[in-house]
Amino acid sequence: MTKSKTIICRCEDVTLEEIEAVIEKGYTSMDEIKRITRCGMGQCQGRTCRTLLLAELARATKTHPNDIKVTTYRPPVKNVKMSVILGGMEDEENS
Amino acid sequence: MKKTEIAVIGGGPAGLMAALAAAEMGARVTIMDRNSRLGGQLVKQTHMFFGSEKEYASVRGIDIGKVLSAEVLKNPRIETMLDSTVIGYYPDDGVLGVEVEEKTFVKIKPEKVIVATGASEKFLPFENNDLPGIYGAGAVQTLMNEHGVVPGENVLMVGAGNIGLIVSYQLMQAGVNVKAIIDAAPSIGGYWVHASKVARLGVPIMTSYTVKAAYPNELTGALERAVIWQVDDKWQPIPGTEKVLKVDVICISVGLSPLAEILWQAGCRMKYVPQLGGHVALRDENMETTVPGVYVAGDVAGVEEASSAMIEGRLAGLNAAKSLGYDNGKYDEKRREAMEQLQNLRSGPVGEKIRQGLAQLAL
Amino acid sequence: MLKTSGIPTAEDLAVRIPPEERRKKGPVVMIECFQKIPCNPCFTACKHGAIQKFEDINDLPEVNFDNCNGCGLCISKCPGLAIFVIDETYSENEAAVSLPFEFLPLPREGEEVDLLDRSGKIVGRGKVLKVRNGKYEDRTPVITVAVPRELSMVVRNIKLGGDVR
Repeated sequence: MTKSKTIICRCEDVTLEEIEAVIEKGYTSMDEIKRITRCGMGQCQGRTCRTLLLAELARATKTHPNDIKVTTYRPPVKNVKMSVILGGMEDEENS
Repeated sequence: MKKTEIAVIGGGPAGLMAALAAAEMGARVTIMDRNSRLGGQLVKQTHMFFGSEKEYASVRGIDIGKVLSAEVLKNPRIETMLDSTVIGYYPDDGVLGVEVEEKTFVKIKPEKVIVATGASEKFLPFENNDLPGIYGAGAVQTLMNEHGVVPGENVLMVGAGNIGLIVSYQLMQAGVNVKAIIDAAPSIGGYWVHASKVARLGVPIMTSYTVKAAYPNELTGALERAVIWQVDDKWQPIPGTEKVLKVDVICISVGLSPLAEILWQAGCRMKYVPQLGGHVALRDENMETTVPGVYVAGDVAGVEEASSAMIEGRLAGLNAAKSLGYDNGKYDEKRREAMEQLQNLRSGPVGEKIRQGLAQLAL
Repeated sequence: MLKTSGIPTAEDLAVRIPPEERRKKGPVVMIECFQKIPCNPCFTACKHGAIQKFEDINDLPEVNFDNCNGCGLCISKCPGLAIFVIDETYSENEAAVSLPFEFLPLPREGEEVDLLDRSGKIVGRGKVLKVRNGKYEDRTPVITVAVPRELSMVVRNIKLGGDVR
């Protein structure tokens, strides 16, 4: 498997090679890896890569997936335009 | 701020049944779905469902979706919000943030929440897994069954679970050639009757095989070849067993993972249960999570068949309504019936994995 | 092997083949259902008491072959498309096999078609006798095809024809 051509995060184009390299450097939490590589920070907000990253971390660190701390799930769960949120605030002021 | 008694997030089989059951008990329900129609994945299911008459056995998923959607839409106690995505749950004040038609942001404060958001498709790491022509099975179903577009001419299906087998059959119905169905597991995960259906069309099913790599056409950059290889009983690839398939589509059907963002945000206690597809919320037999007033139903509660999703939905709807003091006199009977149906659906040998998974979730 | 290829072995089939004496009397059902899954519409579809009531919905269907008249109403109701009706008395040298067929274009009555076995391999030629595609079949048409008698337990599909698009 050519790891530099194996995509883990499609939105942010993060490869397996990059993930393995950061784990090698000692970043072993999903949060750290997310911040360093942007894995899971794209359009789909990790819906595709999260399970792949979890599996890769579990394998590399020999940890049960249940013992790996997942990243924080913050709203919004999808990309939302600022105008949508601002529109909502306006609505509240009016009501 | 908008108020409702029960908010149902997701208008698929579980959400529709939850809304109907809660409304039947007397509660006022708001059901939200991000699509512009109700039905969720039922809309793409052209095959007849298993189960018994009560679970719409022998009826095609697409028809079940129509029946349930129509019932929801005409029910005066149910408000339907389409093109409405719940983008956040704020547990401190119990408010849902909903993006409507990608234009407005609406805040809803429900007394109870039923999360029926379903699941998303898992993906597979292999060389060049981002080439044009590599799809999830759900995407292929959407293309074909919703939009009438075929994904290509020759397909390698990865995954011999029910979805992989069913989508292969649908591809053949659409006149697309399925070159092979492979699965890394040593045996077929889906129902054997589905496997036999595609086998007698001449589609080879190859167990203990996985994708090694995909290669593009040099001119177009799109998928042209797939290389598969055998895996041993420890799931390790065996060099020298490679086979090359000329395909312009690889369809990935390696399982689903619960779409549980809202549950995480609500602060539900979650557990990683591989038999159920990933992280799922702990819940009691009434489908209530560790956060009082937050219920789950369907694939988000553990990936299973649509027939059980519908009954879980009914159960969650009944219990959410009951907790608000609603009871049309049939609560006990309906609840018992739903629990029996779930028990029946899961009691056989094919339900073993689900039973193992659920055993880890009980509160 | 069913669990690795989806193709039942002779051993799997042996328990499902209707008894020879019954086959000699006319059309009879053969349910190629080998796995305990939660499903029972075949019982609901049978109006002749041939397919027995399920004690547990996960049980395999049980057939009382003496009650079966080969009507085939169960064929299009099986979600697994696993039910066939075999008539070994159709003619001196031919048997008639009724099978579910959800593909376009549908064959026409009288048309010669390639006959396929359970692995999709062409095993011979046969003639389409009947195409049932009414409201009852509800988009699962039932095709009855005349096949060489010795292939009555082999033929389970016909070759797809034409470009559906």
